[in-house]
Amino acid sequence: MIENQKNYLTYPKGIMSWLLTLDHKRIGLMYLFGGLAFFFLGGLLALGMRLELAAPGNDFMSNDTYNNVYTLHGAIMVFLFIIPAIPGALGNILLPLMLGAKDVAFPRLNLASFYLYTLGALFTIYTIIAGGVDTGWTFYTPYSTTSTSNVIPMTMGIFIIGFSSILTGLNFIATIHKMRIPGLTWYKLPLFVWALYGTSLVQITATPVIAITMVLLILERLLGIGIFDPALGGDPVLYQHFFWFYSHPAVYIMILPAFGIVSEIIPVHSRKKIWGYKFIAFSTLSIAFIGFLVWGHHMFTSGQSVFSQIVFSFITYFVGIPTGVKIFSWILTMYRGQVSFTPPMLYALSFLFLFTIGGLTGIFLGAVALDIHLHDTYFVVAHFHYVMQGGTIVAFLGGLHHWWPKSMGTMYNQTVANICCLGVFLGFNGTFFPQFLLGLRGMPRRYATYDPQYADLHNYSSFWSAILGLSIFIAIMNLLWSLRKNNKLDPGTNPWGAMTLEWTHTTSPPHPHNFEEEPVLEHGPYDYDKVIVEPTFKK
Amino acid sequence: MAHQHHITPLSIYLTIAATLLFLSGVTVWVSYVDLGAMNIVIAMLIATTKATLVVLFFMHLLWDDKKLLTIFVMSLMFLGIFITITLLDTEFRGGVNPEVKDSINKRAAFYDSLPLTDTHGNPVDEHGSSHHEEDEDHH
Repeated sequence: MIENQKNYLTYPKGIMSWLLTLDHKRIGLMYLFGGLAFFFLGGLLALGMRLELAAPGNDFMSNDTYNNVYTLHGAIMVFLFIIPAIPGALGNILLPLMLGAKDVAFPRLNLASFYLYTLGALFTIYTIIAGGVDTGWTFYTPYSTTSTSNVIPMTMGIFIIGFSSILTGLNFIATIHKMRIPGLTWYKLPLFVWALYGTSLVQITATPVIAITMVLLILERLLGIGIFDPALGGDPVLYQHFFWFYSHPAVYIMILPAFGIVSEIIPVHSRKKIWGYKFIAFSTLSIAFIGFLVWGHHMFTSGQSVFSQIVFSFITYFVGIPTGVKIFSWILTMYRGQVSFTPPMLYALSFLFLFTIGGLTGIFLGAVALDIHLHDTYFVVAHFHYVMQGGTIVAFLGGLHHWWPKSMGTMYNQTVANICCLGVFLGFNGTFFPQFLLGLRGMPRRYATYDPQYADLHNYSSFWSAILGLSIFIAIMNLLWSLRKNNKLDPGTNPWGAMTLEWTHTTSPPHPHNFEEEPVLEHGPYDYDKVIVEPTFKK
Repeated sequence: MAHQHHITPLSIYLTIAATLLFLSGVTVWVSYVDLGAMNIVIAMLIATTKATLVVLFFMHLLWDDKKLLTIFVMSLMFLGIFITITLLDTEFRGGVNPEVKDSINKRAAFYDSLPLTDTHGNPVDEHGSSHHEEDEDHH
């Protein structure tokens, strides 16, 4: 390899070459750093809440402040970090590389998506400066139509970010259909690509509904049109139907790319062909579809008809089938493989534990009779954090560690990364497992104070949340520290011995146009039984 | 692009345009006829027919790659799912507790013990309507 080879990070130069770039890798990096900034902000808000909840009573913030903090924590984490982060950052950087393409199908549209995201983010920042919003991230009516906090700027921001999400989905679908190199048939695609395809389908079919919902909410607030207010002839439960018709599939927008990342990490770090390729691929699509039929399980106490409750509860259980198929396929992939405990693999293993707990407690909540008892308690809080943070964010961190040498051309300190992963795993369980117990004992969510009987568990949860926050912070700092001078890897490096095109056919970091010439497919993405690809790692 | 572009004869465009205009006329005419519960169904049916004609002929979906038609039909299917399952709620509401199906009666006996206020705590007049627009001024 030539020493001073061009790569996308250093060529072309100048701030404008970044702001107006059409290169999917640069756009992906901008998404990554934007997302991480909001992750930091959302994380600080979370730690603020845990500090307040460490002891009963309003020691640290007032009830009104607390309402603002949990609303912003939820809205920022969901709409500005988790939903855009994996498809926007890792998806953008990797998708064309995995397909052997020069770029996504519509590079300008890709940049437009990023700027729509930025505009939505500005609305959010305005909301924070203007005094916050106190409705909860779900903006349930009737409160959201009468609250005097900044509901309109925040929902406007979500409306705009929704378009960013739709355009990214559209772009990815066109790219996957049209930009594959010859010979790269559907069943030879890396499973991360299948996951992005499923995600994109959900993004373009569900996201318009949240846009409509936000517009209706704004219209009702501004013009007094009776959509959700019963006094004006509306129906407040209709809001929940609208909201969850998007937001339940949105759970799959968040988790499907995480499944994709885990499907990449596990075979590579076990040096074994993935078990059940087609099962994993099609379970992705079936999760995406079933996800559209279960939204009412968020509404069991809303007063919706009993008939709907039975239907939604019944269909909800079906989600467990494709999800179980995936979990067992990953476990069977590791079985008798050469499992190496590298940072990405440790994150993937943490994912398997945490996501399984999150998924199984979801089955609890899918049962109407149990949900009526557990609704709006800390049990629900713990459940969705096990899925969103223990699942998606842990997988995202794993993916970040897996592809960091590829996208940045540097290697972080692996020992520090492993210790941080352990810290994330312990800190996460320490924070959220007690919350299952709190919920079972009746502690309601969204309260700044509580009875002294809950003090021990809350105190324990707050202590471990500090460990969790610190571990994630150090893990990210460890990655950033690798960017220091004179720490470049050899451009031909393939530290994990991976087989997908982004590792075998281009440099680390990649060429501005991805590949020197169109790659020729030599083997499938996980053919560890046929071909030997040695891990190479030198400075 | 590899595939050939379909060239639509002008006569088809004109026929479709005439049909659309005719259907617009029907929409206006039918709005003067009270068909009860069928009002919305008829109006939606005409509107859907018009949209289908526009998509098939003006937007060339009839002659385009059938994948695109599949995607279009799929989006209609998801809309169908949304509306149907939401109706399962509103139509069957009150199956166990019939009173939840009724609209809110602001003059119910329950309210006699309470001062009539809206959610802001502002007074509400005798007829039960709150001063909504005035409230909106201060944000």
